[in-house]
Amino acid sequence: MKHDALVIGGSAGSFRAIIHLLEILAIDLSIPVFLCLHRLKQARKGFEETLANIASLPLMEPFDKEKIKPGIIYLAPANYHMLIENKRTIALSTEDPIQYSRPSIDICFASAAEIYKQRLLAILLSGANQDGTGGIAAVNRHGGYTLVQDPTDCEITTMCESAIKLTIPNQILTIPEIIEFVSLL
Amino acid sequence: MELENQEIQTFVNTVRSLSDYDFTEYSDKSLKRRLMKILHDYHLTTESLLIKISENPEFLERIVKDITVNTTELFRDPAIWHSLRYDILPDFEDLSTLNIWHAGCSTGQEVFSMMILLNEMGLLERSDIYATDINSDVLEAARKGVYRYRFNVGYLNNFDAVIKENPRDHNIYHNVPYSKYFVVDKVRDNIRMKDYLLNKPVYEKMDLVTDHNPFDRVFDLVICRNVIIYFNYELQNKVFKLFLDNMNQGSVLVLGVHETILGPYAAYFKKKFQAYYKK
Ligand SMILES: C[S@@+](CC[C@H](N)C(=O)[O-])C[C@H]1O[C@@H](n2cnc3c(N)ncnc32)[C@H](O)[C@@H]1O
Repeated sequence: MKHDALVIGGSAGSFRAIIHLLEILAIDLSIPVFLCLHRLKQARKGFEETLANIASLPLMEPFDKEKIKPGIIYLAPANYHMLIENKRTIALSTEDPIQYSRPSIDICFASAAEIYKQRLLAILLSGANQDGTGGIAAVNRHGGYTLVQDPTDCEITTMCESAIKLTIPNQILTIPEIIEFVSLL
Repeated sequence: MELENQEIQTFVNTVRSLSDYDFTEYSDKSLKRRLMKILHDYHLTTESLLIKISENPEFLERIVKDITVNTTELFRDPAIWHSLRYDILPDFEDLSTLNIWHAGCSTGQEVFSMMILLNEMGLLERSDIYATDINSDVLEAARKGVYRYRFNVGYLNNFDAVIKENPRDHNIYHNVPYSKYFVVDKVRDNIRMKDYLLNKPVYEKMDLVTDHNPFDRVFDLVICRNVIIYFNYELQNKVFKLFLDNMNQGSVLVLGVHETILGPYAAYFKKKFQAYYKK
């Protein structure tokens, strides 16, 4: 295994891709997965349940200071930033939204990049704002591996276009290609 | 911009040597983010920041305030307010005085939410409300009770969800006008709490890390939400001990929706309805 953790960021138009990805994660995956998705404040409980029902691995919204375990998908809770505090612990924060987003993909990715460095795999999917660009840049800077969804394949192109314009991701892939990549983890 | 852990350490040590404030046991990542923001906002390097706080006590005070994260809302996380209304507070209806402490109350929205709820339940007159924070600016704002309207339209939705609607029985609807509690002034772009709510709480500056309970009271309800997420495990334990020592038996500690008691103090509480009851 080349990676010690996987972070996935997505926003508007990423829902179907997320569902696919969660379905095909290997059930013996030996690394934690951090999922940072923008969502409506009010649509709260149902969302976690929907994703948990689909995912091949256990999925949960972590508590602050939750212990990180391999083979678990941690979904950033609505209205909180999710940070990777160290290899063992998740931290939450109610700091102001960044790029209008809380959870912020930038914060989540950057905090994971600092901890997992070149052992981090980051995937950025469709979305309607510029969140995620800073995150991809941070992962690159720490030597991690970055995949950005091909804007021509995105339902909403803004987020991935921004990341591609301002950073150099390792690969720009369509959803079927991302799925293949992830299924081989 | 990157900040080395060593620089954060030096900052924390400097602050501790210059003042009573101690950020040693704050969560590393959040503290680091706050510091980076401070350096950026004031156009300072770590060295120049250290020099400035050493030479200027007021600037140190300013920086301490900037370290704290003060985001809050009226009726933040409606589900816990539903639980307070229908599960938790009814057990306290027979007390002659209900002593409530908001620890880390920020700009007061949580305190006003509580008072509004208590009033709807007929408990406000019997309640004594105490509220503390490390940051004296937010306490000043809480005493004023004026909030921006434009960025806080969500307050009204939360109010509706908690005060007007009843998720346990959708046939019930309480038609409570906002004006009973606050004035929404779209022209001046503000939401102003009514005077009778401004005068009720006792606000006091208090640092949960170093200070004792500043009130001559033991509490029936302690509300500390979205504060301990900024503390590490050791400091969280100290704060739980502080609460425990100042709570009546059977009283309730309410934490933020994604906070939980880990470690030794969990044994002193029983978790029920998203709240912690002192055994
Ligand atoms: C995010 S706000 C929470 C406000 C409110 N309880 C809520 O949940 O909406 C956190 C508050 O904790 C305060 N705080 C941080 N460190 C503290 C300390 N050591 N002692 C007391 N208050 C502290 C901050 O100043 C800030 O106002």
